[in-house]
Amino acid sequence: MKSNNRSSYNVRLSTQVSNPTPFFLLSSNSLSMGSSNIATKDDSDTDIADPKTDSQSFISLFTEGEKVLAYHGPCLYEAKVQKIENSKEDKKKEAKYYVHYLGWNKSWDEWVGADRLLKCSEENLQKQATLKKQGADKNTKSGRSTQSKPKSSTEARADKEDLRNHVGRSKKRKVESGMEEKDAVSANKHMKIQIPSTLKKQLLDDCEFVTQLGKLVKLPRSPCVDDIMTKYLDHKTKKDAAITESITEILKGLRSYFDKALPVMLLYKKELQQYQEAIEDNKSPSTVYGAEHLLRLFVKLPEILAHANIEEETLTQLLQNLQDFLKFLQRSQSTFFLSSYDVSSQGVEASSMEEDE
Amino acid sequence: MGKSGEEEEEEEQEGLSVHSPCQAPPSSASSLPKEQSQIDLELKLLEALEIYPPNKLQGIHRHFILYGLMEYLRRSFDRHFSSDEVLQLLDRFYNLEMLKPDEEEMDILNQEEVFSLPQTFYTKEES
Repeated sequence: MKSNNRSSYNVRLSTQVSNPTPFFLLSSNSLSMGSSNIATKDDSDTDIADPKTDSQSFISLFTEGEKVLAYHGPCLYEAKVQKIENSKEDKKKEAKYYVHYLGWNKSWDEWVGADRLLKCSEENLQKQATLKKQGADKNTKSGRSTQSKPKSSTEARADKEDLRNHVGRSKKRKVESGMEEKDAVSANKHMKIQIPSTLKKQLLDDCEFVTQLGKLVKLPRSPCVDDIMTKYLDHKTKKDAAITESITEILKGLRSYFDKALPVMLLYKKELQQYQEAIEDNKSPSTVYGAEHLLRLFVKLPEILAHANIEEETLTQLLQNLQDFLKFLQRSQSTFFLSSYDVSSQGVEASSMEEDE
Repeated sequence: MGKSGEEEEEEEQEGLSVHSPCQAPPSSASSLPKEQSQIDLELKLLEALEIYPPNKLQGIHRHFILYGLMEYLRRSFDRHFSSDEVLQLLDRFYNLEMLKPDEEEMDILNQEEVFSLPQTFYTKEES
């Protein structure tokens, strides 16, 4: 797997707007294992995601290894969650997150509460840019308001350096102005992929299995991504042979994305070891992984497609096709998806104790 | 789009007498002389390439770029185009193997990060 330099651009964009203030919400599933992290509220199937502000046990909003935005002083900085600490006795107590600020010396790593953290959504990234500008403006002699200044890349770079000099830290951060420009690019594209609610639940369960319970999908999967795509193509071209060419190209594109994206951005931390083992002999992920991981690609797809710069009319058509593919997955959900994962993340099969459930 | 040689000549002569070569008569592609429609195809392709830079045809997004070209031509000529057809047209202008992909270090697919679900998964969706 190609190793990538970590200090590269942060253009992680999300098309989904999130609230600027963090909050302690999570949907629940009726799984209740030993950990106090999981909510034990009864699952309501109609409302998959119920904000829970009552006295339920706290659930971690951020996961280990997740890239986040963290407040340090008045500004937001890209950071990574290294460790999470929950208080098991006092459930009302907030979780603490040990964060490392990307591009900064380890000596700045610290424990913070969720109130200082934000998800790396588009809105929050824009907020980061705004705060940075405000901070920089305080240092420049002109003292003009931010609105009157066009945000060109050179100016943003100069502002950043001003800020750096003022704060006195050595940040080996590459050009962040690139990120601001890219924010503008994706903000213009109203790209939304609507994930059907049962598939959303699949993703939430998937998250819980892996991150909370340490349970992994058994690999290789059958049907694998290639199998699923073949089935879809057969299904579509039976109805209308003329569209074969365009559907084929779209599926090829998805497959390319999947193979590239899987090790880079589609795995939870606990799955990394399994990945290394499963992919030996240079197998392509689309022959090893299945619907569970393919679905995760759809969460990231708007961001990825933003980089392809497809013009609006074609993009609309493409999104329709992708929506249709999701519906196809949903219709055969029980065939394609696992409802429970058996492999423990240490690589051992489920013990008999768990089988008794 | 295939026409016999004789037909081509007839229509070309017609084209010369009735219309000047520069004015493409407004009609569906199939009624045009083969050369004329080929030119139209190429022109449309070049138009499309202003939107989809050809060097992206070697990058990670290449299938979607190709799809974009196919769709553009489909809308322009109201018929389906195969990926091979589009690639053949492209071949007249570019040696595709020689194209260098864009700076991909900036691409999102090169940025390692742990997967996580966006916040909206944990709240009621408004849309």
